[in-house]
Amino acid sequence: MKRQIPLILCFLFGVVMLLTQFSPHSLSQGIYEEVLNWARIITPFALVFSTITLLQTHITRIRRQTEHWQYSFLVFGGIAIMVVVGIPFGPQNPVFEWLFNNVQLPMDATMFSLLAFFIASAAYRAFRARNLEASLLLITAVIVMLGNVPVGDLIWNKLISLTPWADTYANGSSLMKQWILDNPNLSARRGIILGVSLGVISQSIRIILGIERSYLGGGD
Amino acid sequence: MTYNKTILYIVACTILFLYGTFAFSQEPETSPPSNVTAVDTPNDDGSSITVTWDTAEDSGIVGYKILRNTDAGEFEEIGEQLDADVSEYKDKEIIKGKEHAYIVRAITETEASVDSLQTGAVRATGQWFHSGKIQLFIAMIIFCGSILGSIYLSRNNQEVFVRRIPGLEAVDEAIGRATEMGRSILYVLGLGGVSGPATIASMTILGQVARRTADYETTLRVPCNDPIVLNVVREMVKASYLDEGRPDAYSEEDIFFLTDSQFAYAAGVDGMMLREKPAAIFLQGTFYAESLILAETGNSIGAIQIAGTDSEHQLPFLITACDYTLIGEELYAASAYLSKEPMQLGSLRGQDWGKVLIFLTIVFGVFLELIGVNWITTFLQRVS
Repeated sequence: MKRQIPLILCFLFGVVMLLTQFSPHSLSQGIYEEVLNWARIITPFALVFSTITLLQTHITRIRRQTEHWQYSFLVFGGIAIMVVVGIPFGPQNPVFEWLFNNVQLPMDATMFSLLAFFIASAAYRAFRARNLEASLLLITAVIVMLGNVPVGDLIWNKLISLTPWADTYANGSSLMKQWILDNPNLSARRGIILGVSLGVISQSIRIILGIERSYLGGGD
Repeated sequence: MTYNKTILYIVACTILFLYGTFAFSQEPETSPPSNVTAVDTPNDDGSSITVTWDTAEDSGIVGYKILRNTDAGEFEEIGEQLDADVSEYKDKEIIKGKEHAYIVRAITETEASVDSLQTGAVRATGQWFHSGKIQLFIAMIIFCGSILGSIYLSRNNQEVFVRRIPGLEAVDEAIGRATEMGRSILYVLGLGGVSGPATIASMTILGQVARRTADYETTLRVPCNDPIVLNVVREMVKASYLDEGRPDAYSEEDIFFLTDSQFAYAAGVDGMMLREKPAAIFLQGTFYAESLILAETGNSIGAIQIAGTDSEHQLPFLITACDYTLIGEELYAASAYLSKEPMQLGSLRGQDWGKVLIFLTIVFGVFLELIGVNWITTFLQRVS
């Protein structure tokens, strides 16, 4: 019974929500909005629970004095400051905004900027010409990279000017890049998207019919 | 006689002058908007009426105003003045269940106006089925039918062949490696919410991974960025440990909420990787820009990494930085592949039939286009 009720609810809500996608009637759209509102209501309760979980995690770290346990005080400090400043005065107050703009945003930007270095290191590994496929990848990457910067067309136009086809094949670097992005790259992406979409449909049917029930906890 | 002729001539000229002055000082007559119709807007919830009319070129009209009848039977202007090239107005402020009639008023350069004939009274009603989505509905019926049919057939234990998926074959290898090295396993569910298909697929893989870590007594660490996902994951992992008869090995502290901020989450997970040096890392779910930050850090500590995502933009990064990557649909097939349940495997076969159908439709559509027949393309493009 503990499993059957959630499975019945899942089936009913799954089928009803599916049908609402094909019915513009106000009753259908009303049901859709209502169910979404129920889902939204759960989130604040879950957030409170998560905050408690986070605090428990760091209290345990301090109590056990695990590695770098001192940093857990920063978590408590951060939460306390944002709660004291944010809850009574709202998120629009200047102190809260200052903290957000001068603490959180720069830290987010710092993490994001690391991506540039990670892309460089990943590209170095990916573009090593070890075999035919990797060599093709390397050549394609060079074409796309050159096509993305003005110097690519500059080099191309300089080289092509030495041949009789200078006017016919001007700006070939960016044109080749665009062809690669629009044809082989887009075709592969659409293939993946089609597969993903069918996978989602298949998984949804398994969940609605109760065949896939691991999200309820446990297999059977 | 000559005097009379002169008088007559002067009078005739005066009459002609006055007539000419009068005639040419008049504006060219602006004709009223024609073919004005008001219809219940199709495929809506009955909250609007669409008024259409024909626009006239070079008629001196600078705009249109729409008038709607009131309870007193008079007409009043609604909305703003529309541009001269507009020929449709959707009135969304109607009273449901009441009949409305409309007049379209053309406004000229001199602020003069000409009204159209009054339309017939129209009552808006909500439609139960969106006719613009008939193509999607047919496609859904076909795909669902093929998947349900395959599931039904697989109930009779028909053998279903599933090609080898290296990323899933490596799950045992990764867990075994962590066990031998005495290190933990880090499972990252991505940034998707609990309603995300990729997150649900990831949670089902986590359930299977948890069963094995329960057997091997290996530490499984799961940092979450969504509060609801956290609760579901705790229940799932706990149930997996219970199913394996190892409830004592389950540690709730190892499944915890980190943050819901994207880069703070990436920083937190990176920190865990560098401090704890897990032997195996699973990156399964929905990822955005943080995917490479996580995968490269995992790579730098020498962990065996198994990734899987349906975010096609992040796939190249994960393929580059991870040892194994589940590409798109492989993520959704993982649950069936790992559990080996006949009905789940059957759904995979139905999925493949769907792919075959799409492929045949594309080939058929291309062939028809080549011979100049384009009804299939038009039919599919009409989805609204």
